[in-house]
Amino acid sequence: MSETTFMGVERAKIDWKPTIDYTSCDFCMECVTFCPHKVFEVRENEVIKLIIRNPNNCVVFCRACSKICGPDALTFPDKNATTQRIKEIRKEESNA
Amino acid sequence: MLENYAILPCNGLDKNAGVISREIAIKLCENANNKIICPVYYRVAEAKYNKIAGEHSLLVIDGCQTRCASKLAAEKNLKVSRRVTISEEAKSHNIELKSNLRLLENENTLIEIILNGLNSPEDKVALSSDETTVFNKFDYETYQHGKFLFRVPANPELYFNENDCWTYVIGNRARIGVTDFVQQNLSDILYFTPPEIGAEIDQFGEAGEIESSKSVFELISPVSGKVISVNETLVGKPELLNENPYELGWVAEIELTNFEDDKELLIGFDKYFEIMKKKVEDINV
Repeated sequence: MSETTFMGVERAKIDWKPTIDYTSCDFCMECVTFCPHKVFEVRENEVIKLIIRNPNNCVVFCRACSKICGPDALTFPDKNATTQRIKEIRKEESNA
Repeated sequence: MLENYAILPCNGLDKNAGVISREIAIKLCENANNKIICPVYYRVAEAKYNKIAGEHSLLVIDGCQTRCASKLAAEKNLKVSRRVTISEEAKSHNIELKSNLRLLENENTLIEIILNGLNSPEDKVALSSDETTVFNKFDYETYQHGKFLFRVPANPELYFNENDCWTYVIGNRARIGVTDFVQQNLSDILYFTPPEIGAEIDQFGEAGEIESSKSVFELISPVSGKVISVNETLVGKPELLNENPYELGWVAEIELTNFEDDKELLIGFDKYFEIMKKKVEDINV
């Protein structure tokens, strides 16, 4: 599912996506199986076998994939900072 | 002291957190009347361990977020009374775990911390912080999609975030929980981990966790404030979240700190109902 807006803000303007720590990731692909939003993509024939393919499909504030990640290789931005940024964007857009 | 528990630990012998889980299970059985359920032997000695699990409260010790021990408990239909996850405990106590399979200083420190926590009396959880605050008015609108029915309360006292969580506000108190969209999506809910009483939660901060055999959902608090009460009944009966996530399935009560600001990023029934319907159609629950 691709969301176009979140809280009235264009989704592409909100920096919310998982970051993969490749020093910990063991490419078990549990996250790929888990996430219904197709955020991840498997690249079978490459050294880096997992990438973030669709960051804007990621549901803002959802961190469920990091909770099922065995090697704890997925991190997300700070929620407070993201909330503040959403408020700023809303303010900027209402003043525009 | 932890007594009369059946302990189902992670037994991941090729992982640091697994070795720690095993050690904690052994230590809990050394000086108290607790029993270990071996996750490996459970596969072939089901009757033996089902009997132990049936006669004791169950503590599950997961090593990492893969939660093999929890999944085994779910597979065997065991009711979990307490649960601890080693990797989460390490993180919350700023203890770095590496890949060594022998217990060194860091591991032993963490083991002591976790054992102290488990052996302390459990926090008594208030069922209701204030008897005069009554959250009992729900006027539902419904949306049917195939065999699934989605109810959403249309009362003006209820607000929603776009992460499918609700808050029912009366004065400076609020109840929070998840909507029918979450429970229908998760299907049979097996575990509920409440937020901690007394915890200060930011708006959109984590306020508990719900897990089914299918998925895990972090409850994203629509409001900021202090957790003053949690729905303890859900720990033993998480299926109430499936039955009705608004009334018997409420999650926590919050003493609000900044609701006027929080409201800016919340939506009312009309908007949420439309968003939810679109989500249902998009993912075809």
